[in-house]
Amino acid sequence: MSRIFAVSKYIFRQSFRNRIMNVLIIFAVFAALFSLAVSELAQEAEVKMVVDFSLFAIELFAFLTVVLSMTIQIFEETELKTLMLVMVKPIKRSEYMLGKYAGVILTVLMNAAIMTAVMMIIIRLKGGDPWDIKILAAVSFSYLGICVLAAVALLLSTVSTTVPSWVIYITLVYALGHLTVHLKNLVDSSAGEAVRVVVDFIYYIVPNLELFNLNDKINAAAGLFAPGYLLLVLGYAALYITVSLTAACFIFDEKEF
Amino acid sequence: METVIEVKKATKIYRPLDFWKNDRTTGIENVDLAVYRGEVFGLLGLNGAGKTTLMKVLLGLLKPTSGEVAILGGTTNDIAVRSRIGYLPELPYFPKYLKVKEVLEYFADIFGIPRGAQRKKIGDILETVKLSDKADSRVGGLSKGMQGRLGLAQAILNEPDLLFLDEPMSGLDPLGYKETRDIIIDIHKQGKTIFFNSHILGEVEKVCDRVSVMHRSHLIDIQPLSAIMEKYGSLEKYFVGTVTEGAKI
Ligand SMILES: Nc1ncnc2c1ncn2[C@@H]1O[C@H](COP(=O)(O)OP(=O)(O)O)[C@@H](O)[C@H]1O
Ligand SMILES: [Mg+2]
Repeated sequence: MSRIFAVSKYIFRQSFRNRIMNVLIIFAVFAALFSLAVSELAQEAEVKMVVDFSLFAIELFAFLTVVLSMTIQIFEETELKTLMLVMVKPIKRSEYMLGKYAGVILTVLMNAAIMTAVMMIIIRLKGGDPWDIKILAAVSFSYLGICVLAAVALLLSTVSTTVPSWVIYITLVYALGHLTVHLKNLVDSSAGEAVRVVVDFIYYIVPNLELFNLNDKINAAAGLFAPGYLLLVLGYAALYITVSLTAACFIFDEKEF
Repeated sequence: METVIEVKKATKIYRPLDFWKNDRTTGIENVDLAVYRGEVFGLLGLNGAGKTTLMKVLLGLLKPTSGEVAILGGTTNDIAVRSRIGYLPELPYFPKYLKVKEVLEYFADIFGIPRGAQRKKIGDILETVKLSDKADSRVGGLSKGMQGRLGLAQAILNEPDLLFLDEPMSGLDPLGYKETRDIIIDIHKQGKTIFFNSHILGEVEKVCDRVSVMHRSHLIDIQPLSAIMEKYGSLEKYFVGTVTEGAKI
């Protein structure tokens, strides 16, 4: 456990020292500009738009945080061969992997928390309720979606040999993860058998990131989110993360340095 | 005599970098070797002879294509065995953005050295490798030789029973040679085993108990240093002679 913690601390420090937090500055500028832009609207519409935009932006910038943090890691490991030193030390390869995962999602957590705080301040300024449980739940679930994505990112990093190829894979997963549901709906109603098989394949392999998007449901008339749905999404995330990390550990175990 | 490294018919063939190519290279072939507790074992060889490959196979960083390797009576898959070894790679690299002491804290955490004991331990090690005044400097600001010293520091942090050093003198200045040699001699005095390779024959001559020569992936000779000196008068003569002889195989 302490070894896992040592690695996650290292990854966290790595992100911090490499100025990954700069992502936040861009986010803040974006958010400020956006809220200025919508300030012409009526107050209720204004708050809704700020929420919509923030949820979208927080998820996007959280994704960017994962990409940047892991790019630095993969670069260090492949080009600079830092792992030779670590792998001869008394740490299991699976412990190293889990430590990396914890480090990445902690980095993202910190960024997401700061971005959420910025969002809450803007909502407050616009006269909305920053402590609205629905909004906070939506942010939390979008963070959970990024945790799933980070697990897949780690798995992909064990099979990619260069940074650019990994960036391409993970960006594809991110894009498809948001699109598959829509693709599937589209195809199920119209396209031919072959296309459907392909889309089904993608649908079941790529994580369904739209599941974590509670944004549409925030403004639904019926009270809170259905607990059944939230549980289902939690279970899906747990399963996906477990499978991805297990596979990552298996592949990593076979690596040479 | 207790055997701390035992290698039987170890072969490492590197897989092609791209699976559709067929450019297999042999790293080491049919290496048999035994290293005993408490000795300083030197490995000589030309560039590309397979010295680094052999060391990585011993350490478990590379899996042998065939053959067997035993380290400290077990295998390096066992983390209890790994907690008793130290390794200085050929070109150690540390992230630029870390401070010298942070690098050592990271490894100390992995070694499970308690937090309370780390400060003193790291202070002592930095003293040993003559890097005390750089404890709070970023790695990015160190010279190559200083990075080598840091590499040595992380290798001896756990007071290993078995120490692997891959070209420990490369990048050092003459004073660095002497300091590294003193460290090796000191560790040797504590009854620890050292397995190392170096191009600097003069240094090998000063510290090794036994010397071996690797040539074109084969371990072609092993002899006690005393026997070599008696027969050839200098390590250089022996080395050049053995490699020229070995060129025939
Ligand atoms: N990662 C690798 N992939 C393919 N071939 C390699 C790799 N590392 C070393 N080799 C080859 O293995 C041989 C031995 O290399 P090495 O063990 O590094 O030699 P030395 O350390 O004695 O200079 C060389 O022919 C080298 O080109
Ligand atoms: Mg070498």
